[in-house]
Amino acid sequence: MMIDGDSGSDRSWLAVTALVVLAVVGAALLPSLSSARPANEVPVGEVGANATDPTAEAWTTVPNVDLALSSAPSGLPGASNVSVQRAQVRAATNDSHAFVRVSWVDDTADRNASDPREFADAVAVQFPENESARPPIAMGGTSNRVNVWYWTGTGRTEELLAGGAGTTTSFNRSAVSTEAVHEDGQWHVAFAREAAMAGNRTDLSGEQDVDVAVAVWNGSYGERAGRKAVSEWQYLAMGPGPQGPPYETILWTVAGLAVLFVAVVTIEGVRRTRGEPA
Amino acid sequence: MSTDDAAQEETHVDIADGVDHQVAMVMDLNKCIGCQTCTVACKTLWTEGGGRDYMYWNNVETKPGEGYPKNWEESGGGWKSEEHSERQPGEIPEKERYGGDWEFNHSEIMYDGSDEPLRPQNVDPEWGPNWDEDQGAGEYPNSYYFYLPRICNHCTHPSCVEACPRKALYKREEDGIVLVDQERCRGYRYCVEGCPYKKVYYNAAKKKSEKCIFCYPRIEGEGPDEEVHATACAEECPPQLRLVGYLDDEDGPIYKLVEEYEVALPLHPEFETVPNVYYIPPYAPPQHDEGGESVRGVDRIPRDYLEELFGDRVNQALDTIEKHRDRTRRGEESELMEILQDKNPAQQYRLEVFDDD
Repeated sequence: MMIDGDSGSDRSWLAVTALVVLAVVGAALLPSLSSARPANEVPVGEVGANATDPTAEAWTTVPNVDLALSSAPSGLPGASNVSVQRAQVRAATNDSHAFVRVSWVDDTADRNASDPREFADAVAVQFPENESARPPIAMGGTSNRVNVWYWTGTGRTEELLAGGAGTTTSFNRSAVSTEAVHEDGQWHVAFAREAAMAGNRTDLSGEQDVDVAVAVWNGSYGERAGRKAVSEWQYLAMGPGPQGPPYETILWTVAGLAVLFVAVVTIEGVRRTRGEPA
Repeated sequence: MSTDDAAQEETHVDIADGVDHQVAMVMDLNKCIGCQTCTVACKTLWTEGGGRDYMYWNNVETKPGEGYPKNWEESGGGWKSEEHSERQPGEIPEKERYGGDWEFNHSEIMYDGSDEPLRPQNVDPEWGPNWDEDQGAGEYPNSYYFYLPRICNHCTHPSCVEACPRKALYKREEDGIVLVDQERCRGYRYCVEGCPYKKVYYNAAKKKSEKCIFCYPRIEGEGPDEEVHATACAEECPPQLRLVGYLDDEDGPIYKLVEEYEVALPLHPEFETVPNVYYIPPYAPPQHDEGGESVRGVDRIPRDYLEELFGDRVNQALDTIEKHRDRTRRGEESELMEILQDKNPAQQYRLEVFDDD
């Protein structure tokens, strides 16, 4: 079969152009598809005011972070025996407020503590009182306290200050509001608070990244107090810094161009072997 | 010590570290008629309504029997040993084991002329406080039972205090009364499972734990008449079976009964919390044979059952009481019998002895 030389040359250039486009698009997209997010980062999305509803559409646009939970070290009976393994956290802001949504699997929605043996499910989000230093993970320390947002299945929300295990103290008036939904065997609890606050409250106005940790209690499993499933410290990426280390973009671009170069050389080589005109 | 000479010997009272004096109570089980006046006095004063309906800070249960809450003696708690270094795991009793706070048809019967029997309305309960009243154990003619009034023991080594992760429970420095700081309590109920006597209760309306306060406003003279009073359970008792005072008041009857004569014993000493409520054990008549004659030397209430409740020392205590009864029968003096017969009412409640400290 006779091949038309001109049309063959057009096709090769088409292929090369396609590869260039692929490489450039790949360099832009691949980082976000892979695990390029720094460890322990909780990205902070932008949402409208309706993020107070944990089922709001706005939450679907916010990146989800899946956290491993483990039992908190505690001298309490059964402390090492906790039931919740993972929690999903999303964080967002709008012009005035900061939002944190925590979701976790729990088949039973324990909403009451009206019997001596009955405990309600609960979730807490912990921040350093002072954003510039990371306190001890277990309820902070005496010189480095934590500001805790605490919701229980009874519908109560508390804002707490603690400087070590057993020191939890409730604010007279909580600045935090919550909405919770239990559906398909999962709790979704959305916390909302005015972003910029001072005093004993963590400032979430975006001046800097803020450490965050979560804890979950399964009431029907007897979990309460220090018997809880907790995460390690993470941080809310809300500071003004770059969204990710710049070297990543450079590396991906170099890798893309290298792939492109190898492809072009290979195509050219095959062509010459076949004796096709350049 | 089990003789009248004991008073002259040196004694040492072991009270908790950091506590100035230790309130204490002695209850003579031989005098209890099971009338529940103490229970009602306590309930009327402290636990009516507000989520407290099911609580009886003071209860009187029939022994042998399952008690209140049901099977509390098998609910765990306390310490593993007298070292007080490791606690025994405990459980929180189910609500049904306490019994419900039922509504009765009192007004229909008393005022409306109803012929219905008096019974809880709209529920069909299967257990409640005093459910097995007077049931006891044994076979006719040797069946037996006695009443056991119970309050918080205000222990020297309270495992409820140790169980609380927030240190919401504490032993009051001035008199060793064990209290729940209602500001600190967050309703976690580790104290409920930690107390082997199940004398800390969860208030589901307040979401906090509550317990007997040894009527501290009364013993402080903080009532309307500003007079010092003994606990309501003690003062309202028709047979006046309780002595109230301080364990370390060495001139008082409690010290003599507990430390000198050793006839007043803590309930379930094996829980190792070292209670400060003590009991004069019941001395029952001997068993009867089928002809109705006494079988000498065989107790109606088996000693091994009393040992279960009060430990091995119950044998020595009952022997001491028996010896002193014999003395008085022979017309001899016995300080122990004087105290047990309560011939000096002024000694019964000694609550102002340390006021000058």
